[in-house]
Amino acid sequence: MGRIFITLVSLFVVVGGVLVFQATRGTSSLVLLPSELVTKAAANDLPRIRIGGRVADPISYQTEPKIVLTFNITDPKGGDATVPVVYEGLKPDMFAAGRDVLIDGDFVGGSVLAAKLQTQCPSKYEPVVPGAMPESIDKERQVG
Amino acid sequence: MIEFGHFALCLAWLLALIGVVAGCLVGRRSHVALSHVEALRRVTIAVAISLGCALLGLGYSFVTNDYSIQYVWQYSNREMPWIYKITAIWGGMDGSMLLWCFLVAAYCAFVARASVKYPRPLLPFLYAFLNTSPLFFITVTLFFTNPFRYLRSALVMPDGNGLNPLLQNEYMAIHPPTLYLGFTGLAVPYAFCMAALASGHLSNDWIRLVRRWTLIAWTFLTAGVVLGGHWAYLELGWGGFWAWDPVENASLLPWLTATALLHSVMVQERKGMLKIWNISLVVLTYALTVFGTFLTRSGIVQSVHAFASTDIGWVFLAYLSGIILLAVVLVIYRRKELRPDRAIESFFSREAVFLLNNLVLLSICFAVLWGVMFPVFSEAFTGEKQTVGIPFFNAVNVPLFLSLVFLMGIGPTIAWKRSSLSHLLRAFTLPFLGGFLVAIALVWAGITEFYPVLSYSLCFFVLMTILGELQRGLSAQAGVTQSSTWSPSTAATLFRRQRIKYGAHIIHFGVLVMTVAITASMAHKIEREFTLGPGERFTVGRFSLELRNVREEEHANYGAVQAQVILRSLKDDSILETLRPELRFYPKNKETTTEVALRMGQREDVYLVLAGIDESGTRASLKLFINPLQVWLWYGAILMIIGGIVVAVPVPRQAMAKQREKERGLQSI
Repeated sequence: MGRIFITLVSLFVVVGGVLVFQATRGTSSLVLLPSELVTKAAANDLPRIRIGGRVADPISYQTEPKIVLTFNITDPKGGDATVPVVYEGLKPDMFAAGRDVLIDGDFVGGSVLAAKLQTQCPSKYEPVVPGAMPESIDKERQVG
Repeated sequence: MIEFGHFALCLAWLLALIGVVAGCLVGRRSHVALSHVEALRRVTIAVAISLGCALLGLGYSFVTNDYSIQYVWQYSNREMPWIYKITAIWGGMDGSMLLWCFLVAAYCAFVARASVKYPRPLLPFLYAFLNTSPLFFITVTLFFTNPFRYLRSALVMPDGNGLNPLLQNEYMAIHPPTLYLGFTGLAVPYAFCMAALASGHLSNDWIRLVRRWTLIAWTFLTAGVVLGGHWAYLELGWGGFWAWDPVENASLLPWLTATALLHSVMVQERKGMLKIWNISLVVLTYALTVFGTFLTRSGIVQSVHAFASTDIGWVFLAYLSGIILLAVVLVIYRRKELRPDRAIESFFSREAVFLLNNLVLLSICFAVLWGVMFPVFSEAFTGEKQTVGIPFFNAVNVPLFLSLVFLMGIGPTIAWKRSSLSHLLRAFTLPFLGGFLVAIALVWAGITEFYPVLSYSLCFFVLMTILGELQRGLSAQAGVTQSSTWSPSTAATLFRRQRIKYGAHIIHFGVLVMTVAITASMAHKIEREFTLGPGERFTVGRFSLELRNVREEEHANYGAVQAQVILRSLKDDSILETLRPELRFYPKNKETTTEVALRMGQREDVYLVLAGIDESGTRASLKLFINPLQVWLWYGAILMIIGGIVVAVPVPRQAMAKQREKERGLQSI
């Protein structure tokens, strides 16, 4: 391998490494479930978190004087932990009680102040949900 | 019909297995018989035909509303228009895997059809490795995600669940197949590369073929990625087109490495350098397509897209490990034949700039991969799951993308081997000055943020280098054909003669247009939220919006609340358009969606979303986005695709020979 090849590759390993390291340190946020957030934060505030959970009632959506969506989230797999969420923005498509959402924001004063709210949308990667079937699949009747 | 589809799938699996095993056995012989090669070729084509039949079988069940099939019941219903019944074939994981199988096999069949011209020692292993991808994906489809499964026999379902409303969109017909054509096409360069390594036929033949097939897949992948962005922009109502979501990133990763490969391949073709580097890129690109499939089907990362938390992740991981390991072993085995013919002599050479371009693309690829996998890494090493979002991707990728734009101006202009100082000054002084003047003009006009100024001035710099190249090419061509430099016939002849070079310039120009559009839409975007009663107005930028009324509508499979908003020009109060954003409710799926009202313009897009209506049903709350130059993003993408087609489509040899003959005749006069 030539001198120039090695110099350029080494340079990029260092520059790329520093860029990625700095950006990670400055922007990473903790990923939590509602139950983990309740346990971890208790009465303390927790800046920069991502929380994934299932939307639960009561849901309030006001559009005047500004658009504000408030709701609760619970663990997707069930449980008692409930965290209130306040989001100043448009209600995303498919948002409803029972939907799974991803929230980026801060935990302040016992509520998540969401900077970004995304409803998990359907995709071609979604599996067939066994519970959604009229009855379980009869494996014996699989063709072949 | 479903039995027929399942039988065809089983047959395809058997044929692909025969192709792999027989290909390896024939390839190991010292003499390759033509009859064996022909048999392998037919087997490879037969795999695609069988999979086509399987896909037809599934499609027939959708069109005839056969709800005894679990997959059809899950993703279709009687009310859906026939076009969505067809698109529902790939609306779920099982069907999308079958489509994947068919497309990869179709590529292999096309290669097999064209392979009569390829070097014979390469062919048996080529067929073996071509059939590897279909074999793997058919195995997954057959044993883990089989779409040919019945519901319980006692059940006769009168109607199906239906496709999710967000997927009932015309983009569903074109985006997934286009993207898949990009992904699956990258199995072909991998097959060429591995066949060359396995057979020891490592001359430049295979790398030329790799270039053509990579370019075809790259063009589809570019189209697929952009179509996904366009779909998200029109459908999701958040005013953007790219959110650095794992699904989006999964499509970007192989695109980045394929782009790197398309550049470094030229260095190997011309100079016999970067041989192991190119093999690594081919394998990495294919591995990243498999990784993307793994990512979206293993549930290991959180995404806005609902992923399957299925147990097929490990199957993909095992295959991924297998292909990388095999490539490493073969490269070590062939290391002597893979030594470069020469080393890079100067930093100021095209090969050094292409290497830099590769390193930037790989750095972006690494950063994106790191961002996607960071939750997994952080949990493994610290016990705490952490993630990174849009700020991370922007912080790392904006400077890297801009350095790529800069290199795009240097690479095609700088000389191979070594550029003299006088050549560098001649080629770049004017473009540098142009870029610098644009930067000063922008600051003077009040745009002072660093990255937008840098981005616009770099784009202008690259534009000037492209125009400079064109001017030099036209002058030289005019000298040969004794015609005027700026005449259309000179341009047409030059373009015909150097189609690949100028096709690449079209792609680069498309990238420039996209870069300007992305910069403008990121840096100068306007967002406003407001509520209007009938007759009330809201003013923003050079527009005013007036609510005419709010009305309810009933459609076949959804109900809608629609706000009619008159968009006027502030300049003369003339009506530009009536925007009609909607809120739709699908009773069958119990889902509410927003329908964006969009006025696309050359200067900006006016993008209006209905957030809600008050209890009286007369006042509408709206969210407005004004996205400057947004439409140019799509124009740029179209240019890139056109450039890709220009470079990828072969020119008949006869036409080229005729052209050269004509020119020789002119020179001898």
